[in-house]
Amino acid sequence: MSWRRLNHVLHRDIGYLCIGMTLIYVISGVAVNHITHQFNPSYSIDKAEASVRPVAGKTAPDMVMVTDILKQLHENGQLKNVAMLSPGNLRIFVEGNTIDVELATGKVQQERVQQRPLLFQVNYLHLNKAKGGWTYLADAYAILLGILAMTGMLMIRGRNRTRGLILTCIGFLIPIAYLFVAL
Amino acid sequence: MLLSHSIRKKMKKLIFSLFILLISCIPVLGKELVLGEQLQLKETTKVSEINAQPDKYIGKRVQIEGMIINVCAARGCWMDIASDAPFQKIQVKVVDGEIVFPMEAKGRNAQVEGIVEKLELSHEQALGWAKHKAMEQGEDFDPATITGPTTIYRIRGLGAVIM
Repeated sequence: MSWRRLNHVLHRDIGYLCIGMTLIYVISGVAVNHITHQFNPSYSIDKAEASVRPVAGKTAPDMVMVTDILKQLHENGQLKNVAMLSPGNLRIFVEGNTIDVELATGKVQQERVQQRPLLFQVNYLHLNKAKGGWTYLADAYAILLGILAMTGMLMIRGRNRTRGLILTCIGFLIPIAYLFVAL
Repeated sequence: MLLSHSIRKKMKKLIFSLFILLISCIPVLGKELVLGEQLQLKETTKVSEINAQPDKYIGKRVQIEGMIINVCAARGCWMDIASDAPFQKIQVKVVDGEIVFPMEAKGRNAQVEGIVEKLELSHEQALGWAKHKAMEQGEDFDPATITGPTTIYRIRGLGAVIM
């Protein structure tokens, strides 16, 4: 097999191999590019206000009070824990919901957190939250992308040579030009 | 070479199935979650002890244990651990991306190891810090709550086990 044929086969097969991972990194890449204080790409966070009957004179949580508050809020999620943040301020942790109650006024602030379907999973991989073995798989993917670029460059020839050279140069020039402007 | 119609159809099905499989692989925080370095210390220090005499612990590696009462909503880069004493807490801050505390950790108990550190902020720095923290949590920021220079004691988290 000639080296050109080998180069072509490598480029084609590595390309196939990279489709899945590339799509993961594409979707997550766009999402995490737009992280702001208002947008968490992995979770949707909804805050809502409500009210319950005021409870006077409590400085420690008790289950009767907590159960009553959850009942008033129609919250049926699994209770995880309860904490008094300050005298008169109770925080109830329910699966997927954090409920802050100002006992004296009955004012309630709820924070519902939900994983964003698909985005949570692709961000989990892209941001390497898994660590461990995934680190090496991600490294291998990066190396494969490098090989894909190199084998692609070696394919610039024949009647598409000029076009290939121009497009490759543009690919290098865009980040360089941006750095000149930005720095 | 063009792929036959049946092979294309099968490939489409395969790719669709793989996406469904990916979505279904939701890492649920149902069991113990180990983050960062392994815990090394045998003894746990009470958060109330650190809060009472923080200067004694500065630069030292400590292990604390308590309920996670808050997690950074933007990047999962810090969490607040409730103290054993009422109405007290301590913040555990990690390097962004090195450890990511999941939002689901709120309300769970955690063992954390890290180095106690002291931040001395001028009035302006304290305003900026509080504003940044409020924005991360999507909360309103009231500058009147910061009245002057602030000293913050926190733990630079190295490893954690969320139970």
